[in-house]
Amino acid sequence: MKVTIKQWHQVSTWHWKLPADDDLCGICRVSFDGTCPSCKYPGDDCPLVIGDCNHNFHMHCVLKWLETETSKGTCPMCRQVFRMKGGDVLSADNTNQSEINNVSQGSDAVMDALD
Amino acid sequence: MSIANKRLLKEWKTVQNEAYPGIEFFPTDSMLEWNVDLVIDNPLYPDVYRLGFKMGKGYPLESPSVQFVAGDERPIPMHPHVYSNGHICLDLLGDNWTPVHSVASVSVSIQSMLCQNKVAERPPDDAQYSKNAPRDPKKSLFEYHDDSV
Repeated sequence: MKVTIKQWHQVSTWHWKLPADDDLCGICRVSFDGTCPSCKYPGDDCPLVIGDCNHNFHMHCVLKWLETETSKGTCPMCRQVFRMKGGDVLSADNTNQSEINNVSQGSDAVMDALD
Repeated sequence: MSIANKRLLKEWKTVQNEAYPGIEFFPTDSMLEWNVDLVIDNPLYPDVYRLGFKMGKGYPLESPSVQFVAGDERPIPMHPHVYSNGHICLDLLGDNWTPVHSVASVSVSIQSMLCQNKVAERPPDDAQYSKNAPRDPKKSLFEYHDDSV
């Protein structure tokens, strides 16, 4: 039997590939593959950050925490100073350009598109 | 729905599916206030004790306001960190709050604080504090001393 493919649909799924296998953001308790409470679309629009301490959060969640006075710049999980893996200290002072660069580098490293 | 509401709804689902021995959770409809009843495995505490949680819009980035609430057969437990007005001196509720804590984790901490206690006493400054304390314990500046009790 000879089959001629006339049309096909490609379906793909994705998920964030993280060094630790926890699946919920400790701050908002939403899955990493979902969004922080302020976002609508998961993925690059609502990226994740990985700390030097290997704790992960939605970037928007941890930024909001680091802006608070009680945070003193520390990781909510382990209370060490929160630094992005391979990056600068993530603080309210460098939220703009440098962080966007860091995040895009980070997301290249952690995005793992499965087909 | 606010971030605090969403997060508290998730917490409510979690506590319904997990076992918390000696702890019962009673959220109000708004989810922003919960009562939590504690049973303590310690002969010093034969009663049931009730915690009142109030979460603001900034929860969980901001700590909840938590205190013991007296009621029918719900006394305020005698403990060196618990004032007679129900306020609790616990670093977790102030300086050491982080948003990974939850109503359940705070309840477990307070339950174990009572469970380990050996002295049924009020804090040394109880009379003075309870007379002048603000209604919201979050407005008090506690000094966290003596972690041994």
